Amino acid sequence: MSHDTLPHPVKTGAAPAARQDGRRRRHWTRRPDPLAGLGSVVWLVVVIVPVYAMITASLTPRDEALGNNALKPPAHPTLANYSTVLHSGFFHYLWNTVLAAVAVVAIVLVLCVPLAYVAVRTRGFWSGAAFRLFLLGVAIPAQAVVVPLYLMIAKLNLYDSLLAIILPTAAFAMPVAILVLTGSLRDISEEVYEAMALDGASPLRMLFQLVIPMSKGGISTVGIYSALQAWNGFLFPLIFTQSEGPRVLTLGLFNYVSQFGVDIPALLASVVLSGIPIFAVYLVARRALVGGLMGVGGK
Amino acid sequence: MTIGTTKGGSRTGTGRPRRGTGANAGRPHAALALPGVLFFLFFAAVPMVLAFCLSFTEWNGLGNPRPAGLANWRKLFDDDRLTQSLTVTVLLTVVSWAFQTVVSMLLGVWAAGRQRNRAILSAIFFVPFLLSSTAISLLFYALLDPNFGIIHGDTLGSTNGAFLAIVFVGGWQFIPFHTLIYQGGARQIPEVLYQAAAIDGAGRYRRFFSITLPQLRNTATTSGVLMVVGSLTYFETVLILTQGGPGTDTAILPYLMYEAGFKSYDFGYASAIASFLVVAATALSLLLVRLSGFGTMRSTREGM
Amino acid sequence: MESTTSNGGRAFSRRWVLGAGATTLVAAGTAGLTACGSSGGSGGGGALTAFVYGDDAAKIQVAAIDRFNSSAAAKKAKGKIKLEKVPGSEYPAKLRTAMGSPNAPDIFFNWGGGSIKAYRDAKQLVDLTDTITSDPVLKSGFLPSVITAGGIGGHNYGIPMRGMQPVILFYNKSLFAERKLQPPTTWDQLLDINTKLKKAGITPFALGGSDIWPELMWLEYLVDRIGGPQVFDRIKNGDASGWGDPAVLKAAQTVKQLIDDGAFGKGFNSVAYTNGGAPAVFAKGKAAMHLMGSWEYSTQLGKFPDFARKSLGWTAFPTIEGGAGDIRNVVGNPTNYWSINARTSNKDAALAFLRDCASETYAKALIANGDIPTTTNAESLLDASPNPEFAKFQYKMVQNAPAFTLSWDQAVDPNVSTPMLTEVNKLFVGKSTPSQFVSALQGLK
Repeated sequence: MSHDTLPHPVKTGAAPAARQDGRRRRHWTRRPDPLAGLGSVVWLVVVIVPVYAMITASLTPRDEALGNNALKPPAHPTLANYSTVLHSGFFHYLWNTVLAAVAVVAIVLVLCVPLAYVAVRTRGFWSGAAFRLFLLGVAIPAQAVVVPLYLMIAKLNLYDSLLAIILPTAAFAMPVAILVLTGSLRDISEEVYEAMALDGASPLRMLFQLVIPMSKGGISTVGIYSALQAWNGFLFPLIFTQSEGPRVLTLGLFNYVSQFGVDIPALLASVVLSGIPIFAVYLVARRALVGGLMGVGGK
Repeated sequence: MTIGTTKGGSRTGTGRPRRGTGANAGRPHAALALPGVLFFLFFAAVPMVLAFCLSFTEWNGLGNPRPAGLANWRKLFDDDRLTQSLTVTVLLTVVSWAFQTVVSMLLGVWAAGRQRNRAILSAIFFVPFLLSSTAISLLFYALLDPNFGIIHGDTLGSTNGAFLAIVFVGGWQFIPFHTLIYQGGARQIPEVLYQAAAIDGAGRYRRFFSITLPQLRNTATTSGVLMVVGSLTYFETVLILTQGGPGTDTAILPYLMYEAGFKSYDFGYASAIASFLVVAATALSLLLVRLSGFGTMRSTREGM
Repeated sequence: MESTTSNGGRAFSRRWVLGAGATTLVAAGTAGLTACGSSGGSGGGGALTAFVYGDDAAKIQVAAIDRFNSSAAAKKAKGKIKLEKVPGSEYPAKLRTAMGSPNAPDIFFNWGGGSIKAYRDAKQLVDLTDTITSDPVLKSGFLPSVITAGGIGGHNYGIPMRGMQPVILFYNKSLFAERKLQPPTTWDQLLDINTKLKKAGITPFALGGSDIWPELMWLEYLVDRIGGPQVFDRIKNGDASGWGDPAVLKAAQTVKQLIDDGAFGKGFNSVAYTNGGAPAVFAKGKAAMHLMGSWEYSTQLGKFPDFARKSLGWTAFPTIEGGAGDIRNVVGNPTNYWSINARTSNKDAALAFLRDCASETYAKALIANGDIPTTTNAESLLDASPNPEFAKFQYKMVQNAPAFTLSWDQAVDPNVSTPMLTEVNKLFVGKSTPSQFVSALQGLK
């Protein structure tokens, strides 16, 4: 996801409550609504047709594909396109993307959780200034700084390394992370802090025994959000890396265009394959993913 | 939480942890925030300043930047393409916002219902969001190809076609996400309101317009802000689908900057465009912060 | 970077982790900033890096480098080479960003001319002029016009390393025979053929307009045929007023006429060459002709082998009545070149490797791939080509050409070629008139 976001805090637990209420009260909305039904079918078509065309085309042999309508199922379906892609470094790119995503999530959480904790728990000129800095950062598109970043990355000797992707991606995920986290930290009541303070807990112990456990919802939202930033990131890999070594999936896909050029079925097979890992995550953890994303949106 | 506690003495102790000393206890040391702030400053704020500095230089990516005075800025404000690009960017933002808001609001409200078929369809509707923007752009690039795809027309070769394709592709990817936001919003509307309306004999559509729509005001603001900010990032879509074409008709600001920097290697000029983009985006975000009231979030809680 | 810390554990260790993280960060930053003072040169001490345009033909360079690395020449120069295949579409940008970083390649593929001018100006190129004159293998090894075409201002910075790529007018032999047509040699004949084809419902020319450079080929040939090669020569040498030559306007008007007449069909702006769209339109008989680089032959051979073997015909671009250009003049890319980074750690090894490009083994490998080497020994080897007839046509075409105009987008500096391509596209999509086109080009510095 390349949206930069301005979220409201999430209240974890709100959803299950609403669910129970819904069971009880929404009986009249169960009457079929022809217009809504029609609308949803229209959108279903809009979603399904490209996906269907993508999958059929990726199963079409190369020579059959050109000049054919992509909607027509292949006369001789084949998996050859998939094997072409899998033999063109796909797993290597996927591994790089996973590494980058894990590192970005790690950096963002390690840096932002304490930052949000300080921003919420102390007041004063500097913490206010820091908060405002991040607030403004929300709308700054990463593209705007790609030229100076390139200069810095080159001078730092990081050009063409995975770190060149990870560090700026993490930095640009921070504003939203801070907003989400401060939102969810504010939901912890003062009394709980006081109670811990009376027990002689240090601020750091509070961070680990109170703040982190209590803001799990916000943390998972931030984790999903930053992972998606890394997963979707394209411009930084495009500019800051060059060789096969640190190539991530999005850039690999883009390069398949020139590599497969005349081979659209293989290109679409690579698109399908690139969706499979996250589709698997979706199948396994749909509720967490959807819940986390709702958290980016707010309540 | 007690405002009194925070006022009563922690002013002096700001940023200093005093272990176990009563009311102002448990304030973390500001140093905890330092790594994060430094990191962000170094990789996000410093480059912004640097972009501004580079905009007064001439640099083709080799050797060191040479001072060029105001040349790049003069060129920028004389450039017809800036006006065109700005217009396209604004138009793209507005049209995308309208398209995505209407569709995701309707779908979101619809998906808020608890019926089983709605749950299943919602799960399917979410699928496009699982693909990266790069993957989606490549998919539609293939599907819009006149010799191969679904639509055998001159879609990307005509101004309107290319523009609408970008709007559509952006919507196709992000509507699932905004639907989710609206779904969450619609589920939080108190059911009492609907019951009251039902007693008054209001019909389904009347209820939608007089209850659902006004109640979704905050959701619409949040989602709208996300859309507006997000549409600044349609760069990949433009790069892969149209390369700014036909002619220069879909060259949004970020693409214009990319072209100046990484196709013409005029990094000084690219930095001028980038600085302009930063200023525009900052203005936009200040405006949005004011309109949406995000900035007041903190003060309502902490009494600043 | 730092690892995440999950939960539990003593505060002491957490603080330590955070502190360590911050220290690492600051240390990394400081180290990086100090590093920026010293200049880069080539990366790690061992192997030299070579960047090559990563298309199918790169397999020849892969083989050449394997051969070199195990050769006596490599041992003598104490250097090995590592090949980096850079994906095609972004090659120029990747090369530029890499050359500006400490990870610059030692040897790199280029198009000569404007594509290397910035590197020459930044003193990043090894001047090969003296090396070539003093080395008999290099001096007599290549067609002189090809060596010259890659140079700047009388100096040579590149050694030819791929086949020649003249732009040729391809036509569908079977379709022409069916309609009793002859390939055109004059513009009037071409217009006449267009009329007949359109009546039969066939698009005269395939054109991959969404790539823009296929559109540029039309202007390159038209300007040459109308005003002669000197028109673009002037522009190439930095005289932007050269765009004001009447030949440029006439060429743009001719293009407009062709478009309005439907010579390229309707949807050509959405058709690409690179994804196989335009070749498919041509091979399937929907269009009768295709103005394209010589690589069209191998593209068709890979994609539509039947068509390539039976129906693919080729001819020179026709003359224009009253025009100054010779029908033998050629536009396109003479070839591609290897250039050497001035900061290379082992210039001897790099030079030793470049010498191999003049060898017969290398030429044979190119020929087996369907390419025509620009070496002097190539002519005698052409019979081994997959299509000797086409190979000889090409070789003669280049050998006999009074002028070989380098593709415009490669001949001028990127900060001119990028807006130039945009203007070409605007002309073809009808966003600007021929006269607007000319005045926009005159405005390019």
